[in-house]
Amino acid sequence: MTTSERTTTSERGGGAAVSERVVTTRSARANAHIGKHAQTIAIGVVLVVLLIFFAFSADRFATTGNILNLLRQISPTLIVAIAMTFVISTSGIDLSVGSTVALSGSLLAIVLQHGWDPTLALVAILALGALIGFVNGWFSSYQNIPPFIVTLAMLSIMRGTALRATEGYSTPIDGELWIVQLGQGRVAGIPVPVILAVVIAAVGWLTLTRTPFGRYVIGLGSNGESLRRTGVNTRKVGLAVYVLTGLAAALAGVLIATRLSSGSSNAGSGFELEVITAVVLGGTSLFGGRGSMLGTILGALTLGVIANGLVLLHVSPFYVQIVQGAILLLAIFANSKVWARFGAVRK
Amino acid sequence: MSDEATPYRKAEEVKPVTSADSTVDRVVMRDIRKRYGMVDALRGVTLRVGPGEVIGLVGDNAAGKSTLMKVLAGAVVPDSGEIVFDGRPVSFSTPRDARELGIEMVYQDLALCDDIDVAGNLFLGREPRKAGGLLLDVAQMHRDARRHLDALNIRIPLTDIPVGGLSGGQRQAVAIARAVTFGPKLLILDEPTAALAVAEVETVLELIKTVSAQGVSVILITHRLQDLFRVCDRLCVMYEGTLRADLDARATSLERLVSEIVAHDQIDPGAGDAAAGDGRRENDTTEGARR
Ligand SMILES: Nc1ncnc2c1ncn2[C@@H]1O[C@H](COP(=O)(O)OP(=O)(O)O)[C@@H](O)[C@H]1O
Ligand SMILES: [Mg+2]
Repeated sequence: MTTSERTTTSERGGGAAVSERVVTTRSARANAHIGKHAQTIAIGVVLVVLLIFFAFSADRFATTGNILNLLRQISPTLIVAIAMTFVISTSGIDLSVGSTVALSGSLLAIVLQHGWDPTLALVAILALGALIGFVNGWFSSYQNIPPFIVTLAMLSIMRGTALRATEGYSTPIDGELWIVQLGQGRVAGIPVPVILAVVIAAVGWLTLTRTPFGRYVIGLGSNGESLRRTGVNTRKVGLAVYVLTGLAAALAGVLIATRLSSGSSNAGSGFELEVITAVVLGGTSLFGGRGSMLGTILGALTLGVIANGLVLLHVSPFYVQIVQGAILLLAIFANSKVWARFGAVRK
Repeated sequence: MSDEATPYRKAEEVKPVTSADSTVDRVVMRDIRKRYGMVDALRGVTLRVGPGEVIGLVGDNAAGKSTLMKVLAGAVVPDSGEIVFDGRPVSFSTPRDARELGIEMVYQDLALCDDIDVAGNLFLGREPRKAGGLLLDVAQMHRDARRHLDALNIRIPLTDIPVGGLSGGQRQAVAIARAVTFGPKLLILDEPTAALAVAEVETVLELIKTVSAQGVSVILITHRLQDLFRVCDRLCVMYEGTLRADLDARATSLERLVSEIVAHDQIDPGAGDAAAGDGRRENDTTEGARR
């Protein structure tokens, strides 16, 4: 009857004599879609402006070498930020990723020094990362302890374990081992970490937007009780996202340690802040229910460009940290105040 | 334990629940109890629903209606009591268990994910998939959503906008569509018409008649008492966590129903009830003293 007729008309996008109701809903759709993508577009614009600015102000910025170097530098951040996008979309947080980077890098170097097979060492380190994530997820999702507290405790435990294991010294990694290629190798001129980051970003995007799991991650952050009532095992979903950040952080630790040819218990300090900033900058809501993988990629790129550009302009590296913290605060402010006007953001 | 609940019931109206009955009933809930800290939400409730039967569940606020229905939908695990579905004893530890048996519920708070679009909410938890179950079949989802909404005469022109942007009535319609779309055997509607316009209420009442004619059992919770008399076979009145009365909708007046809901003592439906009435008064006094 009329309902379906109207609908088909509006879906075809034609028909001047469409009822007022459909027109309103159409503007609602436009609003919703703009709201969804406004922040991604905004961060994209910021990135382009920064690129142009540094290209003109720093001589060596716009060279292939520098760009590839920049991309390699942000690869670990991006890999963990992809996983963190899932966690934050469920309205969770994982503060332990920086410590996990330190622990996995240190342990990798130590077990290699003990003569472990590099492949076995890699698998063991990744499994350890997944286990750390499992513990985070079990306390947060199954025991309902705020993830902020759980992962803050794990931050301390993992950093302490890394310090104890290395006694504070860094452990060299033999440059002859194949595993060093993970951090230093290139395929067709592209650094291996960059290739890994691109593949993981693509898989992450597909998972968040096109799979039932991604749908449940958004649902969990949007209205967890509602998702539970539809029969989804919400606790499992809530646990799985922390396994993802644990795994990603362990991989990041391996990439950083193999790039530097040494495992250090001081690696990854402030790493969690960088990762969370990239995610929030990209428009993923700290309150859950909204996650943008493309935004996270742009956010990580923006942070990398700022850090790299400032160094090329001979600005003291200490400022980079100040700038990063300020960006996080601004991004959260924009997230909750400015973009909320588009109606798609809650709270 | 059931002696606490007995005084509230009219002996001749509560049909005895026997094992023989269970084989014909769609669902029997027996002596269901649930306590939240100091609040006794359910104090031993027994309720049976036949196939295709429409039950109106009424009672004051906080009488325990929503809690009882959440137990039936698997969203709340009771402290004790048993549920028999289609003659088989069942126990639900998650809503999935109940959904798999064909029990669907429209929750009072709707339970929609505001950030997910209309089609996504309709299919939440049972999305059409492709690529061997790995990926969502988004196109199929929107096509099916359109078909289901049209079949239910629900006016939501677009299925790809987040439900957070819809009106209260449209949100309620989405919640109802989600419950009836997958061919339930028992449909629970917890105040489904609260945010609806007059015409939309009519649609819901028609829907209830249609599905019950097809053998679907329906439990309707509503404060619009006039609606109950139009669609219900039986009216069950809850009062402070107990089932106070189980009435035949055709043989009950609105006045009688109202007096049962407010637990009015003066109106005495029959001489045979004198003893029960006394018990009730006594019980009320103790209740009052406890409060
Ligand atoms: N999750 C809960 N936690 C604590 N108390 C609850 C909870 N759910 C319901 N109650 C209490 O149980 C009683 C019955 O509530 P409810 O079933 O919602 O009543 P109704 O739907 O009949 O208005 C109320 O006193 C309510 O406060
Ligand atoms: Mg209620």
